[in-house]
Amino acid sequence: MRYPRIIDDGSVWIVIVPPLIWALHFLAAYWIAAVWCAREAGSLTPAAWSIIVLTILALVAISLIGRVAAVRYGGFTRPGRESAGDTQADRRQFLGHVALLLCVLNAAAVMMTAIPSVMFGRC
Amino acid sequence: MRMPKHIWLALVGGLAGCDGRHSWLAGAGAEARLIEDLFWPFLIGAVAIWTAVMVFAVIAFRRRPKGSDERIGRAIILWGGGVLPAVVVAALLITGLLTLRAMASRPSALTVHVDAEQWWWRVIYETPDGKVFSANEIRLPLGKTTLLMLTSDDVIHSFWAPALGGKLDMIPGRTNRMTLTPVRTGRWGGLCAEFCGAAHAQMRFEVVVMEPDAFRDWLVAESEPAAPSALRMERGLSLFLDEGCAACHTVRGTQANGRVGPDLTHLAARGRIGAGLLALSDANLRRWITHTTDVKPGVRMPSYPAMPPDDLDQITQFLMALE
Ligand code: HEC
Ligand SMILES: [Cu+2]
Repeated sequence: MRYPRIIDDGSVWIVIVPPLIWALHFLAAYWIAAVWCAREAGSLTPAAWSIIVLTILALVAISLIGRVAAVRYGGFTRPGRESAGDTQADRRQFLGHVALLLCVLNAAAVMMTAIPSVMFGRC
Repeated sequence: MRMPKHIWLALVGGLAGCDGRHSWLAGAGAEARLIEDLFWPFLIGAVAIWTAVMVFAVIAFRRRPKGSDERIGRAIILWGGGVLPAVVVAALLITGLLTLRAMASRPSALTVHVDAEQWWWRVIYETPDGKVFSANEIRLPLGKTTLLMLTSDDVIHSFWAPALGGKLDMIPGRTNRMTLTPVRTGRWGGLCAEFCGAAHAQMRFEVVVMEPDAFRDWLVAESEPAAPSALRMERGLSLFLDEGCAACHTVRGTQANGRVGPDLTHLAARGRIGAGLLALSDANLRRWITHTTDVKPGVRMPSYPAMPPDDLDQITQFLMALE
């Protein structure tokens, strides 16, 4: 038998993944800056570049999840449609919608985490 | 509706604080002006957003529902509740960081170490000829950028001279850096801005901004040992040594070299005693020595309530001669 993937159809885990990516990105950025500055205390450039690379990776990951979510929701905007029923299809749509919104939110959050490292040249 | 009287009084009192020695609207420092430049747009923006939200809320409650409301409502939620706040928050973050960057990037002409203790400030000036020790009063040259190296010996304190610049925590085992660039001469107030124990509220200091020439002369004088006229007061000096004051206080040029309390070598050149608590005067010094814990509850200096009046006279005269 095949084990279900974490973001498989019908799994609620898809809504956890975007915040998880944000949290990991946040932690990694924090650690990189803290460790780098404790050792070097000078130029921030190398640390900033690694944070930028991590940020791009995180944004790519979030947009991939976002695409999956959009497919399940059935598009990016569907004004007026509610998913309030209790069928499998409604559930799928609802989770897709929630995950899509979370992707937008977490993409913004990831970018905000990265902004300081781009703006400061020194520790 | 009429506003109760005490609210008016509180408002007036709050505004009165605005032109004082502790006001960050005094424009006494380049860093304080940067913060002020950030404050007004923030304030105006916040008022505008708050007003807009209130207007929308009133309209929404008063209107009769119509068919087209659904679409408009969704648009308002998307743009007003999602996109706009995201843009505003990002803009706030970026302008805040820009201010921080501008404050952090000034090259400095002078380095001063400020070491917070419960409940006073050790101040050490770095000069080409060595370190100059002082306490509770920080003198700065006008128009020059001074780098402050902030640390603490015991618990977390926070350094804040609102008229001149930002506020920064002083953390044991760490050295935080802050610059001050005064643009107005005068005496400005400072305080500890992080609760640090019993006498936290009485942990204050003075910042004296001087013309660069006067500052240079003062720094030379401050680096000298105690005034010869004080050292000639044998009775006062020997009482100072015998009563145990010397175990905690340094007076350069004498055997007194304690480091528990503030350096008193040039006490009488300072404006205040007890970490900004009382004006320097004969009467206040007597009160400080005989009623230390009444004046400053929790203070780490013993009171000398039973000191004979004649001894007290001598010690006070000696201290007042430490110019
Ligand atoms: C156990 C140590 C100790 C002894 C002994 C002691 N002091 Fe102090 N003294 C301190 C400390 C600590 C402070 C700082 C108190 C504060 O502001 O919180 C202080 C502050 C002062 C100040 C105010 C300094 C300033 O710049 O604000 C004066 C003046 C002073 N002491 C005089 C004396 C005299 C005179 C004696 C002896 C009769 C004496 N002290 C004995 C610890 C001591
Ligand atoms: Cu304090």
